[in-house]
Amino acid sequence: MASDLTSPSAVDTGTVPAAGPAGPGASAPAGAILSANGISVRFGGLQALQSVDLHVLRGQITGLIGPNGAGKTTMFNVLCGLIAPTEGKVVFDGTTINRWPPHRRGRAGMARTFQRLELFTRMSVEDNLVAAWESSHPGALLGRGRATRKQKVAEVMELVGLERVANRVAGELPTGLGRLVELGRALCTDPRVLLLDEPSSGLDHGETQHFSQILQSVVGGRGNGEPAVLLVEHDMALVMQVCSTITVLDFGRRIAAGTPAEIRADAGVRAAYLGESDVA
Amino acid sequence: MSAYFPFIVIGIFTGSIYGLAAMGLVLTYKTTGVFNFAYGAVAMICAFVYWQMHDAWHWSAWIALPLLLLVVAPLVGYIFEALFRPLAGLSAEVPIVVSIAMIALFTAIVVIVWNGGQARGLQPVIPRSSFHLAGHLFVGYDQLGTFVIACLAGGALWWLLRHTRFGTATRAVVDNRDLASIIGINGDNVRRTSWILSTVFGGLVGVLLSPDLVLDTNQLFLVVLGAFAPAVIARLTSLPWAFGSALVIGVIQSIPHKWSSSGLTANIESTAPFIILFITLIVLGNQLKESGMAVRSVSASQASDGLEADEVAHAERARRSTLIGVALFVFCIFLPNIVAGPKVGILTVGIIFAIVGVTLVVLTGWAGQISLAQFSFVGVGAYIVGHLAGHNGSNFLGAALLGMAVAVPLGIIVGLPSLRLKGLYLALATLAFALIMDGVVFNDVRISGGISGIIAPRPRIFGVSFASTTAMYELCLGVLGAVLLAALLLRRGPIGRRLLILRDSPLAAQMLGVNLTITKLGAFVASGVIAALAGALFGSAEQALNPMNFQFSVSLTAVLLVVLGGRSVLSGAIIGAVTYMVGYLGLLPIPTAAHNYIQLGVALGVIGLGRNPEGTFAISQAEARRSMSILKPRPRRARVAALDVRVRSHGPAMEAHSGV
Repeated sequence: MASDLTSPSAVDTGTVPAAGPAGPGASAPAGAILSANGISVRFGGLQALQSVDLHVLRGQITGLIGPNGAGKTTMFNVLCGLIAPTEGKVVFDGTTINRWPPHRRGRAGMARTFQRLELFTRMSVEDNLVAAWESSHPGALLGRGRATRKQKVAEVMELVGLERVANRVAGELPTGLGRLVELGRALCTDPRVLLLDEPSSGLDHGETQHFSQILQSVVGGRGNGEPAVLLVEHDMALVMQVCSTITVLDFGRRIAAGTPAEIRADAGVRAAYLGESDVA
Repeated sequence: MSAYFPFIVIGIFTGSIYGLAAMGLVLTYKTTGVFNFAYGAVAMICAFVYWQMHDAWHWSAWIALPLLLLVVAPLVGYIFEALFRPLAGLSAEVPIVVSIAMIALFTAIVVIVWNGGQARGLQPVIPRSSFHLAGHLFVGYDQLGTFVIACLAGGALWWLLRHTRFGTATRAVVDNRDLASIIGINGDNVRRTSWILSTVFGGLVGVLLSPDLVLDTNQLFLVVLGAFAPAVIARLTSLPWAFGSALVIGVIQSIPHKWSSSGLTANIESTAPFIILFITLIVLGNQLKESGMAVRSVSASQASDGLEADEVAHAERARRSTLIGVALFVFCIFLPNIVAGPKVGILTVGIIFAIVGVTLVVLTGWAGQISLAQFSFVGVGAYIVGHLAGHNGSNFLGAALLGMAVAVPLGIIVGLPSLRLKGLYLALATLAFALIMDGVVFNDVRISGGISGIIAPRPRIFGVSFASTTAMYELCLGVLGAVLLAALLLRRGPIGRRLLILRDSPLAAQMLGVNLTITKLGAFVASGVIAALAGALFGSAEQALNPMNFQFSVSLTAVLLVVLGGRSVLSGAIIGAVTYMVGYLGLLPIPTAAHNYIQLGVALGVIGLGRNPEGTFAISQAEARRSMSILKPRPRRARVAALDVRVRSHGPAMEAHSGV
């Protein structure tokens, strides 16, 4: 079904460094804004991740896939600083950030969304975005930069298509709109890298398409290939459609990394994951 | 060494009581996810019922005791089960607040039924004669008997959970109640049985402990709070740990008797269980998990505290409530001219209560950090003014500022547990803090002034004297106005948003760049500082200071009243304060007995709120708005959605963020 989908996102992204599939253990390629190098995580006796490498490249959407329990969420939380890796380094724009608490990563330009929506449920959609802007801009608590904020929030609402619901209370929105609010919120922080955790879960086909269109228009919007995007997804069609590079996890190990075409052709990946249902 | 034996014997007696209570607490927490703050109140009401049967009606203990343990206590357990069942899976704060309301409910019942709950003696169930064990060591039969009963009860419970079908069913329900129900285990039965067992243990505690105390609405309850420490040490899961650590705590608490009977050491010693509780909570920190019950997220409609979808209507409403507020304020300025002199004093206390209420709204309602210690800050402010404001109150301002400064480190101490704990454990930590302040600080003769107490002066600020009751009233009113205005402005601005997102999703806030540590501590410190300011005013207004005014139980009442009024809205603090004046301070010329019924009503109101934690007022507002909108439907696009929210707010909480 998806054989004609050869990374259409490359069309949007203009001049970016080539996405060379990094072999296991390779150091960060030049175009990576966020890299996980040799990450291992152990929970008691469970080896959740074993020496995993992952590179989020500028100007691209990078996919992270794998069956349930493969360690995707763990990896995601390591990148955000919610879980400390037992081994390995997280490098953001050339700096090792292992010891940075989550909020410092947020301020530095890493933004994420949540699989299980984490909206500010009591606030209006607009206030969700405003609060996000304020959270990431020092001095905002004292009321500084109000004009910039207004402009940014308006811009993001238009980009994501939230003007219609700007005054609705976020907690009462359907999941599809909720995902957009989370994306908008992340965008308000002027992110350099966007981490999206299962954004299509709970969305129907149309909503997923809408989301992926927005996503593709967002990548590299700030120039210099920023924000770059890491997409953790179940929806294979979506991943194959929008990602330039894909990393596949299984049982805490990286079993493959490459372009969608390479991943599709990879026998190991087929066996582990795609196998019976999706791509066959 | 042998000199310690008598203390060890006393310690084991106390420890056995703690052990029984701790096991009762662990049992219901394990199976239902409810930590029963009202456990002491269960013991209390059982003891009063026993007193009625045995001491008042002179029934034989052979009739009264079985009747108590097999009929009355199970009935109490049954009531608890019925009340808490609908709350299963709601956010942790709901069962906390409801069980605090149960304390108020039982206290009100005891006060109404037993002649104001006046102190009385309870004849011991086990004879108090003692036997000679060895050397100089005498052991009371009651002490030995209590230990044996606790061991037998604990052993029986352990056996029940380990080796019977009920035990298997319980473990299945604890593990996964949905799966358990699929394989045909009736979770309701398991929960009901464990509630009943737990209250029977509570009844035993009441009957065994009361003869050593005077039976009133306070003492028994306070002692049982000591059992919270072993329950938490057992991580609210392990019965043997609960019992073992209870014995150890009992002994620790008793041993220092050898050296001191008064002063700071004695205070620390009697507060030992609460100090241990506070330290345990901080040390165990992240290892403490809320029970395995899946927490349903509070639905959007519940969480939105009347925030309307339609921003225009919201602005209209805000303007209207501001108008009402200003009108009320003006009315309050002229109030002393209308009401009689002594009532002005009550109004003043009510206004100070409203200031404390505002700090609770900000901390609990907006920032989502529960605190059961707000009146400890009031006490700090009041006592510093009492000691340092000088004879004619000319140092009032300095003393008040000092009180506020002292509240900063104290706020950080109370806030510290919030960095690693939330919900139930945070509530327990703040409660422990309040109890430590009661026992160690406000109980210290050097601070409280002993029996004679200390007298705080009326303030003199920049040469202006506030000596008259009316002037004091106006000063407090002015401060309340300023605090309300500041809170209102904060709420609309970036700081208000920062607090709201802390409650709505700390996780998302953190990832967006919010430093949770600073934000949480800031919220605790700010609300503590304002509470200390309220305390300075309280000291000067009341003048004669009594530690009872700052007891943890006052903090609990404040939380209940603010929840009743609506904990997320500033008007909630005002409504809470009005209820306080009418129902607790005697503002209206109604018979004293009526106050008991008002307090009963407050408790029932909060219990009834279980399903809508944002306050009765929020519900009634929503209802009023709904009926209004039916009367005159306005053609506005968001109207339908808004209406939908209101309708849903009356149903059970729904999965608002199902996401998957």
